[in-house]
Amino acid sequence: MEGILLHILGAIATFLLAFVVGMTYGGIRRKVIARVQNRYGPPIYQNFIDAFKLFSKTTAVHHGAMHLLGPAFLIVSAVMALMVVPVLRDNLWFTNLNFHGDLIFLIYIMVFGPLGMALGAGQTGNPNSAIGVTRGLSQMVGFEIPWVMALVAIMIKYNTTSIVDLMKIQTEVGQWLIFQNPFAFIAAILASLGMFRYAPFNIVGAPTELASGPASENGGKFLFTMMSAGSVFAFVKLTLFVDIFLGGASNLIILVIKTFLLYMIPVLYGAVNPRYRTEQAITYFWGWPLLFGFLAIIYSVYF
Amino acid sequence: MDIIILILIVFFAGAILTAFSGKISTLVQDILFLVTLIVPAILFFTGVEMNTETVISFNKTPLTLGMTPLSYYFALIVMGLAVLAGAYTIGQMNGKKRKGYFYLNYILSIGAMFGILMSKDLVSFFIFWEIMTWASYLIVIYNGKNVQKIGIKYFVMSAIGAYAMLMAIVITHSLTGSFLISDLISGFGSWNHGMQILIPVLLLVGFGVKAAIMPLHIWAPDAYSNSPMSYTAIFSGALSKMGVYGMVIVFLTLLTKVPEGALIRDIVAWLAAITAAISTLYAIKQDDAKRLLAYSSIGQLGYIVIGVAIGTPMSMLAGLFLAFMHGVFKSTLFMVVGAIEKQTGTTDFREITGLIRKMPWTFLAALISIIALAGIPPLGGFVGKWMLYESLIQSDHFMLVTLVFFSSTAAFLYCYKILFGFFLGQEEKEWSHVKEAPAIMVVPMLILSIISVVLGTFPQLIMKPINAAMTFYGMPDTYGILWKESMLFNKWGNDIALTPIMYGIMAVFIVVAIFLFVKNRTRTRYVTTKDISSSGEIPKEHENLTFSRGFFQPFLRAVEPVMRKQIDKYMLSFAQGVEDLFEFTRRIYNGNGQSYAIYAMIFLIILLVLGKNLFG
Amino acid sequence: MVGSPVLFVAIPLLAAFIIPLAGMMWKNSVRVIPGLVLAFMFFLSISLMGYVNEHGTIVEVLAGWKPPIGINLVFSPFTGFLTTLMTFLGFIVWLYSYKFKRNVDFEPSMKYFMLLMLLVTGSVGIVLTGDIFNMFVFIEIVSISGYGLTSFYTRRDSAEAAFKFLFMGAIASTFLLIAIMIIYSQLGTLNIADIADKMPMMNHKLKVLSLVFFILAIGVEAEIFPLNGWAPDVYTEAPGPIGAAFAGIVVKAAIYASVRLVYTMYDFSGAFDLFIIIGLITFIMAETTALRQDQLKRMLAYSSIGQMGLVMIAFGIGTKEGVYAALFLMFNHAIIKSLLFFSGSYLVFNKKNKYIKHVNGMGKYLPITSVLFTIGAFAIIGLPPFAGFWSKLAILTAAADNKMVVLIAVILIISILEAVYYLRVVNRIYFYDKKEKTEPKKPSINALVAMISLGIIVLVIGFYPDLISGILDRAAADLMDKGNYIKDVLTLNK
Repeated sequence: MEGILLHILGAIATFLLAFVVGMTYGGIRRKVIARVQNRYGPPIYQNFIDAFKLFSKTTAVHHGAMHLLGPAFLIVSAVMALMVVPVLRDNLWFTNLNFHGDLIFLIYIMVFGPLGMALGAGQTGNPNSAIGVTRGLSQMVGFEIPWVMALVAIMIKYNTTSIVDLMKIQTEVGQWLIFQNPFAFIAAILASLGMFRYAPFNIVGAPTELASGPASENGGKFLFTMMSAGSVFAFVKLTLFVDIFLGGASNLIILVIKTFLLYMIPVLYGAVNPRYRTEQAITYFWGWPLLFGFLAIIYSVYF
Repeated sequence: MDIIILILIVFFAGAILTAFSGKISTLVQDILFLVTLIVPAILFFTGVEMNTETVISFNKTPLTLGMTPLSYYFALIVMGLAVLAGAYTIGQMNGKKRKGYFYLNYILSIGAMFGILMSKDLVSFFIFWEIMTWASYLIVIYNGKNVQKIGIKYFVMSAIGAYAMLMAIVITHSLTGSFLISDLISGFGSWNHGMQILIPVLLLVGFGVKAAIMPLHIWAPDAYSNSPMSYTAIFSGALSKMGVYGMVIVFLTLLTKVPEGALIRDIVAWLAAITAAISTLYAIKQDDAKRLLAYSSIGQLGYIVIGVAIGTPMSMLAGLFLAFMHGVFKSTLFMVVGAIEKQTGTTDFREITGLIRKMPWTFLAALISIIALAGIPPLGGFVGKWMLYESLIQSDHFMLVTLVFFSSTAAFLYCYKILFGFFLGQEEKEWSHVKEAPAIMVVPMLILSIISVVLGTFPQLIMKPINAAMTFYGMPDTYGILWKESMLFNKWGNDIALTPIMYGIMAVFIVVAIFLFVKNRTRTRYVTTKDISSSGEIPKEHENLTFSRGFFQPFLRAVEPVMRKQIDKYMLSFAQGVEDLFEFTRRIYNGNGQSYAIYAMIFLIILLVLGKNLFG
Repeated sequence: MVGSPVLFVAIPLLAAFIIPLAGMMWKNSVRVIPGLVLAFMFFLSISLMGYVNEHGTIVEVLAGWKPPIGINLVFSPFTGFLTTLMTFLGFIVWLYSYKFKRNVDFEPSMKYFMLLMLLVTGSVGIVLTGDIFNMFVFIEIVSISGYGLTSFYTRRDSAEAAFKFLFMGAIASTFLLIAIMIIYSQLGTLNIADIADKMPMMNHKLKVLSLVFFILAIGVEAEIFPLNGWAPDVYTEAPGPIGAAFAGIVVKAAIYASVRLVYTMYDFSGAFDLFIIIGLITFIMAETTALRQDQLKRMLAYSSIGQMGLVMIAFGIGTKEGVYAALFLMFNHAIIKSLLFFSGSYLVFNKKNKYIKHVNGMGKYLPITSVLFTIGAFAIIGLPPFAGFWSKLAILTAAADNKMVVLIAVILIISILEAVYYLRVVNRIYFYDKKEKTEPKKPSINALVAMISLGIIVLVIGFYPDLISGILDRAAADLMDKGNYIKDVLTLNK
């Protein structure tokens, strides 16, 4: 019984951690981009202020059941995804729920939330939302292929589909996967550009074109829910990358350092890039990233 | 009398009675129809025993019927779907013409599928296979639209498959002297090498047609979308599984005994994977829900065949599990489309929009089935997909797994299109009169949705029959092996203790979600879909804000090079070319008596010349 | 014994003389008497079949001259089976056309039924006779009544068709006679059993020559590939039921003759290969041509030719299973093709050119006829559970047992074409809208009875092939046993 209690407490702690880290990173991103563009930018804690403001607002209208459920789906799936990603190596508090084959599970559960959100956005009847959703889904198909290829290369090499196993292997070999299979890392990191949906892949919710796309009919608590889900997702993705490619982290500080460094890649890439159209984004992902994906697979099969 | 024969008699007699009872009253006809489907199902579940044999002793070709664990598993799909889709059919066919014709062929095809599964020899297998083919052919042309093109295409492809199978059957007979499947399996190992390749390939061609594997799939989009949706539920859910059933037998028993088996497995798996990928792209392109689902079915069958073809215990398990799941969720979706067609008169995404509040139950069924189709946990579809990926990775099919990942990711696109196109988006005045479909149509859909939810959590319900079927054909006891492989949400995990925790956490967050939902709902009021943010302007009532044309245009632009070439067109132009060639042979008969006399003389000369060779 | 095989020839010929006289007294007798004769022949053959099953082959000697000098009739399980089939079909054709000619005058009606009766008689004669010259005579009887029936509607086209038939028939007769002369000059006998007995003694070159002439001559009637140009025209121009009679009776007799040649008289094993080659070419050419037809009867005609090609292939396999399959095919073809001709004629009744498009939408107006046509189409394609499936299975099994894999493949591929053109018609019947104004003709009651009984046979055989398989088995065994045939005929001397 105590074990279960520990797990539940651990889950809540993980969630809080993810929320705080994700929000902070979001704030840092805004700051960084502002500095790159030679602006002063908002303070780093601006995201917390926004979230608090949104949370305290009263929502007046809704468009129906799916609209109400959309953000709920999003947060649930974000937390579900968080639950299967091991935050720290060999740590009782953050083991959460790791099992054989959770990588595949993760790929799918990460889609569930956005799809639920997409349904919510659909019911609002705002054409901009639907357009944004179709773009988002299309783009997802684009980056999913190099991403999956990178994962497949690793999974085949080590014949496991478990994140914990991968971390163990890295500890045993004493070498991070980023060095064991650099191509897989490159493919994955290129795919992650799309995953984060920062520029140049931010046509999904482009404020100027689509009035924020899927989010356009949501305000107040809806938007707060979506925002927190987004933060948690960002944390999940970064932690996942760290777990798979950078050997995981043994304590929180190392985790924060590693994730931050990884996070800067899409942020900085985005800061200096314009926005791609959807088909451009897709063809981008099916260019170099795909090639690296192939290389990764060939590398892991023949070397 | 043996119970299997009794069931077949009920089917065939019931079919004829139902067809003609329409003259008495339509109510009697409906009831007879349902009774003819339910009585065999009850008889089957209560009376049929495993591993018994009945022989209908004809002089030349005795027919042997009996049930194996594998056929029991597939019969579960067929009989269950037949009853549920049957109830739905009554609602859907209400007031349609040619009801007797439709019911007759519906029952005949179900009976034939049952017969296929119960056949223990190849001749009765073939007989029922052909009955199934022509009964379904007659339903494909039921609408009377484009019958010469669609119907004939379906029949020709079916005939190619069936005749390939027939060829395999007669060659088998010449080699073993018997038509029994068990003799084929036991004798196969000792044949000469050429035959060991030829027979499985011919059989696979036969089964591949029904399982719609490229390049034998060209009939499927048209045939699926052209038959009434209540039958397409059977068509895609159960009938296509007959091909899978045959493939399972071939892969499990024959190809394990030849060295080239691995190559054939890979070829079939690759064809299936390409089928899945390409047909998914085509599904995304469709603007008609029927065609979209038709292509989607082909894609899903691709996954099933991959699993069956790879043939490791786990992939076989995945394939068979997906076969069941596909039967459940795809039939539901076809039923949903049928219900919408019945209520609105069209299935075009560009016309219908915003039905969610008018047809909430239909939407619920559609939503659950879509989640199952997309393979999102915690529904049954995920369990199958998970096993498929896992098995592909374990057996080192890295490119295959990428392709499957690609197609199932791309599948989200059309999944969203179905839900958005019909149910979400602007609620137009044009459809304000639409009502929920009658209960007899909605209830089967909901039952099937519940099944796909239940199977996501308790997959062992059908894993046990699958396991029995696989061990029957000499596979290791996967139930034991897979106990070690863990999986979320079911009792198959090695960390069984985790399951309650997972449920606990799930419960917490579901409570949170419901709380958010209820809280937001009570605090807020409903506004129409015209009341949206559009840069400060309030859209007028007549203003069209529906987004449904060119839905995934950017995506399609990106994948356009892949879709430019269509096998369908090549095959059609080939068929056209062949027909033109026959026009040439027709001209030999030019109607001129003198030329006929010349032919006679030429024939005489040829015979005289050949005479030396022929008559030594 | 209930009767004697002689009656098969004697009664119809006698009736042919009586009919005009009786017609003067009672006009309807020209219709009734042929029917009675055909019915009698049918029952006679059934009862003789019963006898033959118990006591073995009946050899009937005519005019007291014993074989090999005299003419004899052989009623064996094989010939008996064909006789039963032909007389049954003859009766059905009569039944179908009983009212068919009510609106025509007395004179044409008399000609029609008399010629029909003679057609059946001649065909039965070909099958039963044990003498090649006698066979020649019967072939002439068949041909001449065939010419007459073809030009029955005294139109330009029917005259042309009849003339083509006559033209080809004349060539055939010439070569047949030459072949018979060669045989007689060499062996000094015309009795088939005797010829078979003495065949090894014959000059090899002349033997080949005579066989080639025989094949050419009989091939015209048997509608094998380059010699069948006349057939589609005749089927199209002759009255509907006569198409059935040709397909079901005349061609069967011709096939019988060629089979008798190859299986009994000659001892060339290469002749079996020739059968397969000719059959295959005929099959391919006819089925591909049928696909491109736009007239219903012409399509049925080509299909019929194709089926006979298949029968020849089956005979060419040369084993007992092959013969069994061939006989099964003949039986099915006779029943099914007649059903198709019968119902098809009603579907395009009263239409000028009898185009396939004229059947559009007939399912609504002629439901029973349409269903029967559909059953026939499905059966001839070889779909189970209809009769055609079992014969198709039999021929393929026979071919497979002889390792003829390519042959199987070709047959099956061509069968797909067959399915295509039949289903195109069926689709039209049910799913196209009727455009023409002309009122479809409802089938008369006797025609309906004829068609329904054929339809029932198709279904019954489809569900229970054992009904026929025993008879076919015995017939096949009888044909394969050449020595027994010679013995049966020639031992009558002692």
